[in-house]
Amino acid sequence: MSYTRSMRHGEYKMPGGKLVVVDLDLRDGQIAAVQVSGDFFLEPDSALADIDCALLGAPHSASVEELAMRVSPALSAPVQTFGISAEAVAIAVRRAIDGGNST
Amino acid sequence: MTRTNWREHEWQLIHDVPQAPALHMALDEVLVEEVSAGRRPPTLRIWEWAGPAVVIGRFQSLRNEVDAANAAAHGIEVVRRISGGGAMFIEPGNTITYSVYAPLSLVEGLSFEQSYAQMDAWVIAALLELGIMAWYQPLNDITSHIGKIAGAAQARRGNAVLHHVTMAYDIDAQKMLQVLRIGREKLADKGTQSAAKRVDPLRSQTGLPREAIIAHMIDTFRQRHGLRDDHLREDELARASTLAASKFANASWTAELP
Repeated sequence: MSYTRSMRHGEYKMPGGKLVVVDLDLRDGQIAAVQVSGDFFLEPDSALADIDCALLGAPHSASVEELAMRVSPALSAPVQTFGISAEAVAIAVRRAIDGGNST
Repeated sequence: MTRTNWREHEWQLIHDVPQAPALHMALDEVLVEEVSAGRRPPTLRIWEWAGPAVVIGRFQSLRNEVDAANAAAHGIEVVRRISGGGAMFIEPGNTITYSVYAPLSLVEGLSFEQSYAQMDAWVIAALLELGIMAWYQPLNDITSHIGKIAGAAQARRGNAVLHHVTMAYDIDAQKMLQVLRIGREKLADKGTQSAAKRVDPLRSQTGLPREAIIAHMIDTFRQRHGLRDDHLREDELARASTLAASKFANASWTAELP
């Protein structure tokens, strides 16, 4: 993925879970580049790329519920998660879009 | 698969000379694969560090976690490990780090949360014998009422699980804050204002030398689970050395999440 200095940044600490960090870029009202990161656990680790892929193309107006629905298949069985959920990713994405200052 | 107990396995101990951070990362990958393939019995490895390091988790952003300029100025090697979890600041002599390479059968049927507590039950017991009332703080911390003592992380490979833990023995909190970026979101959740206050090291809690704590931990493991002294095989070390150079000392891995 491309990762530029103009990215917006959002963070969300899931209650009872871990920190989810999102850096993303909007173009034409859509998520054009995104990197989800954090101190959570995923098995297998290739699931992370699937989360990023699921978010690409999401409209900037998407609600937390809509974003969570996009992400959910990437975090469903057989993927195992510890300290991260589709909702937590969605909230971090929303925070990046809403408040995320360009860094 | 039926869950096995610790005593059903022939546990081996590896406690080698100080090794470079990238080699430690590679040894974890090689040894969990060896146990998965059945070429090595389940093993406890105690780490000795040859140099200072920042170890970031598999899914962490390098730039978000590490102040690269300050790390370089202090001569600190930055590496990414194969397990998730958070960044660790390491200086030789200041931490006690160990890995348990176990067959998956040992944690069969357990939730992740239960498996973390199960893999470190011997450490909680060892700390208790040293006078520290420690407990497992889900998801992946060992703590006492004074503060956090250790952080654990797991990664699964084939038929084996890697469970590794870094415990704070002593800490240069000022230097840690120069090299780790610890976000406000995380500090707010922990209910503390200072990142330095989140960790309370074993030295102040026990008054014991680091070597004495390690020796006691090894004794505790040996008594509870059985443990035979072992060493790295030549082929294991050779594979890990190659992997350290090609992967763990390479920016394409360390900066995979920039």
